[in-house]
Amino acid sequence: MQIQDNLMDPSVISDPYTYFAEIRTNDPVHWSDDFGGWIVTRYEDVAFAFQDQTRFSAERVTPSRKASEKKKKELASTYNVLSHWMVFNDPPKHTRLRLLVNKAFTPSAVEKIKPRIVEISNELLDEMANNEKADIIKDYAYALPILVISEMLGLPKNDRDKIKKWSDDLMLLVFGAVDVPDRHEKAQKSLQEMYDYLHDIASKRRENPQDDLISAIAFAGDGGDKLTTDEIISTCSLLVFGGHETTTNLIANGMMSLLTHPQAYKELKDNPSLISSAVEEFLRYEGPSKAMIRIAKEDLELGGKKIKQNERLLLVQASANRDPAKFTKPDKLDITRHPNQHLGFGRGIHYCLGAPLARVEGEIAIKQLIQRFPQMTLEDVQIEWQPTIINRALKRLPVTLRGTSS
Amino acid sequence: MRVWIDKEKCVGSATCTIIAPNVFDINEDGQAVVANNEAEGINDINKSADNCPVQAIVIEKK
Repeated sequence: MQIQDNLMDPSVISDPYTYFAEIRTNDPVHWSDDFGGWIVTRYEDVAFAFQDQTRFSAERVTPSRKASEKKKKELASTYNVLSHWMVFNDPPKHTRLRLLVNKAFTPSAVEKIKPRIVEISNELLDEMANNEKADIIKDYAYALPILVISEMLGLPKNDRDKIKKWSDDLMLLVFGAVDVPDRHEKAQKSLQEMYDYLHDIASKRRENPQDDLISAIAFAGDGGDKLTTDEIISTCSLLVFGGHETTTNLIANGMMSLLTHPQAYKELKDNPSLISSAVEEFLRYEGPSKAMIRIAKEDLELGGKKIKQNERLLLVQASANRDPAKFTKPDKLDITRHPNQHLGFGRGIHYCLGAPLARVEGEIAIKQLIQRFPQMTLEDVQIEWQPTIINRALKRLPVTLRGTSS
Repeated sequence: MRVWIDKEKCVGSATCTIIAPNVFDINEDGQAVVANNEAEGINDINKSADNCPVQAIVIEKK
């Protein structure tokens, strides 16, 4: 049978699950001309590829294969910063960069900042309470994680909008928003501004260290394994970026799932202690990351297909997490699901560093939102998703805070 | 003291094998295993448990 070969088709963007289920059923490791690589859809194959980092490389920071030589030169500095992001590196460089910041994101470290996350959430909810309506993304889900990561790093609160702008522009490039024609230029400009900004703050911290993450990173490796300035600034930019974009989508996608599943919504309102398994289920059912890219380091076989060295693979978490071979009733939202070994945070050495923080932020954000506005309903508008291959992000999530009857 | 890995939680981030390579290893399924329960270095074992992103390392103190 013929599988429609356009990952950016509006129907695929709005409902990737039906599309990928078709591939998973008919040709689970599927060559796509449109993507220029293999689409991997079964849980077993996706997990396998994540775990075998020696043959499936994450080092994929190279200009688009369609870019002209002139454009490639113009974008060199963007790719220079991205090339130091641990998510785009294999060991040993990946290991070195990851260990450096790991301790700030461990479950026990995150536990300590919980009260502060609750406070930030309450401040935002207080502001929202002044209005009848809200956009959950703009007014809450976006602001919360960026305030938390900015505080952890030690960035001034007033710089929040600046940071969001840079981050949005960079997202266009990293998450492959191919419908924005000047996305490379935007990303380039914003990344340069963010680089200069972080460079300035890191330099100040080296002279006058504070009790914050940017100071820790600025001094890291002074013992033996010294980080270069580029590595320090790139790592900070990754944390700013990775520290909020996806968490925003976890909160928003989770709320969207609840608002469209009244039974689950009621279940959680009646029993708030389900929040932790609910968040796991949001990560599975409507997770912020639809897919991740890997490059074959050698000729290999996956799901019966021969993959050649240097070919790209799209590991589709949105499909693996709905694979009936792994999950019972995979297309059903079940906030009590157990076990729930979803691949929302990946697997193996690139398993999301910020997972413990994202989980806690997701739990606090959603629990508090429901408690404060238990009558909240979704506004009757067309739901639109960002047109990207890699992430699952709503454009807006408009709600009426005190129900439709008021 | 007994150290073991909760297989339901382990995601193979390999953090433990980096911090305590004499104690932990990654098996064929991509999950951590305790390769050497007799290994020296309780500090590294504790550090591994603390750094594990999913708290899959269980330390039972007798």
